[in-house]
Amino acid sequence: MTIHNLYVFSKNGTLLFYEEWNRLNKSGMTKEEEAKLMYGMLFSIKSFVSKISPLDSKEGFLSYKTSKYTLHYFETSSGLKFVLNTDNVAQNVRELLQRLYSQVYIEYVVKNPLCQPNEPIQSELFKIKVDELMKKSPSFLCRSL
Amino acid sequence: MKHQFTDIKPTSNTKAEADECLFEYLHGEIVNYVVSKSSDDNNKEEDLSRLEWMGFSVGYRIIERLTREWPRFKDELDIIKFICTDFWTSLYHKQIDNLRTNHHGVYVLHDHEFRLLAKIGKSGSKQYLKESPRLLAFTCGLLRGSLANLGIACIVKAEVSALPSCKFNVEVQRI
Repeated sequence: MTIHNLYVFSKNGTLLFYEEWNRLNKSGMTKEEEAKLMYGMLFSIKSFVSKISPLDSKEGFLSYKTSKYTLHYFETSSGLKFVLNTDNVAQNVRELLQRLYSQVYIEYVVKNPLCQPNEPIQSELFKIKVDELMKKSPSFLCRSL
Repeated sequence: MKHQFTDIKPTSNTKAEADECLFEYLHGEIVNYVVSKSSDDNNKEEDLSRLEWMGFSVGYRIIERLTREWPRFKDELDIIKFICTDFWTSLYHKQIDNLRTNHHGVYVLHDHEFRLLAKIGKSGSKQYLKESPRLLAFTCGLLRGSLANLGIACIVKAEVSALPSCKFNVEVQRI
């Protein structure tokens, strides 16, 4: 089991934070371009899911899965978006993302008066805490590269 | 029964959370406001005196309430000890970790994990060192105001070498 990478987007699509752990395949573009592409896709999937859904769904888009990896999507009521790529066997990723939001983002970004909202997160402490949380989670098991 | 109820601390998590963060957010906003105001006047150095003055007024008032059930203090050291323990606990939920004095009116209050800095950097982080005085100016004033109301005129300076620990230097003005 392994965690590949994490994106955090603001309400209006700015990439606030990116971190990767086990990523073998590079996209071959800059981080900014990749983030735009990612956000665009998520935006489309979200509206696709809500339009095509035959039933009223509360949660909307949660994740998608390919043969190699799973993308987990978590959106807060305030519009903040957390995107985590893991392998296909990782479990309880939703709970992990919830914890990332409530125990790391709120504590070390929202409560830091030197971090401005909707701007890329510079705080080193936040980065350390994200890393700690991910490495502690059972889904994170470094595969020998 | 009634008495028991009033003594119970709010155990529900949400209540404590709202309580805690209200002060932290408000403090953060006041700091950002004052800093943005002073940068308008294009001073080279950040002018934190307004923050310090606000802290002074708050400290001056708060001491009235905190000491209402206390007998009068014996001497200066007694007052400083009160500041390090009860005063600090009621405001920042912990005591001062280390108190030093030269017995000639200089006291150094050392907090290893100051609450207003704990969310900014940990384990000796140097990232926000330049900005950290902003977050301490209010507390310096708070100390000065409290001590002023207890009859000690002093100068309080803060010093940070590695977040989130900081030192407050209290220098008593003798007349």
